[in-house]
Amino acid sequence: MKERIHKDVVIIGAGMAGLTAALYCGRMNLDTLVLENAIVGGQIANAVDIENFPGFISISGGDLIATVQKQAENFGAVIDEFDTIERVALKSSPKIVETQEKIYAAEVVIIASGMNRRKLPLPEEKKFAGRGVHYCELCDGHAYDGKIIAVMGGGNAAVDAANFLTKYASKLYLIHRSEFRADEVSQKRLRANDKVTVMLQTEIKALRGDKRLESVEVFDKVTGTTKILAVDGIFVNIGVEPNTQLFKDELNLSASGRIIAGEDCRTEIDGVFAAGDVREKEIRQLTTAASDGTTAALLAENYLAKLGG
Amino acid sequence: MVKVYSFDGCPWCDKVKKYLTARGVEYEVRDIEENADFAAECEKISGDLTVPVTTIDGKNFVLGFDKRKIDELLATA
Repeated sequence: MKERIHKDVVIIGAGMAGLTAALYCGRMNLDTLVLENAIVGGQIANAVDIENFPGFISISGGDLIATVQKQAENFGAVIDEFDTIERVALKSSPKIVETQEKIYAAEVVIIASGMNRRKLPLPEEKKFAGRGVHYCELCDGHAYDGKIIAVMGGGNAAVDAANFLTKYASKLYLIHRSEFRADEVSQKRLRANDKVTVMLQTEIKALRGDKRLESVEVFDKVTGTTKILAVDGIFVNIGVEPNTQLFKDELNLSASGRIIAGEDCRTEIDGVFAAGDVREKEIRQLTTAASDGTTAALLAENYLAKLGG
Repeated sequence: MVKVYSFDGCPWCDKVKKYLTARGVEYEVRDIEENADFAAECEKISGDLTVPVTTIDGKNFVLGFDKRKIDELLATA
């Protein structure tokens, strides 16, 4: 039998939005729990150099998030990154968030679950996941020291991953289906590296290998030809998708799978807020995630005060 | 003794270490980037160099962070 625990506020996700909400909720003396199923810090946990967060000329994602976590904890918020959420019931009163070990009941739930890397949409992906197909260059790049690496994608994350992986690769291919979206500085750095071959307007159509990935089939959209490229590992950076699987039966989601909520972060359920990249909105930055966390926390306190009469 | 095959800067390795620390479990860090013997051991145990790999006896292991599986592994000690 799982232990049932009451909280004023349960925050789902410990990225910038969730931790900022926790910091504000903590300061307002709300009994606040943050649950994180993956890595504290979310998408920026691994960022090497953040130069667009006001107050810092340059700071690593790890250092920035550790500071915000410490701020939240100093004001009494509790962060549990080990107990995985299994189910939520947001329409009940109080709202329920059930983890592997506990059942949390809360008047307010702030969803700040962020985004996950998009999986490679090929049937062989499952066979080779962790055996040649990877999503975290920082975690798995070391296994490809002196080997041939391909990076899939053309945005900043992909090009930054490629630049990082050149320190291991004997040869690196950047494979992308259209043109670069990454900024000029990162592109130039990549193109200047002798180990790198940039293959734009190309797509990986199939993965080959016995127990591990050995090669990929690459289709050239310009020439209409397919060739086999020997690679030991590919790192997939083809964008992100909202982490809303837990909420699809509880809340209205947009066509892109994000939670529909206004700039006030209120969803259609009273007392349930959506903050950060998981909320459907036009601009998704670290600063706007912090802004959403602030808004959601302040309006959560407002909601709780009205409930208390 | 619990052994965690890992390396500095690996976020999931850090999560495993934090969890073991939170549970009060003593463990030995085996850095596969700093020590080639540890890398070879890791590959022998899991068949790969993907980390974190958590093991007690060098045979049964948990790849990545999975609280339930780590708890089961610790229960065998």
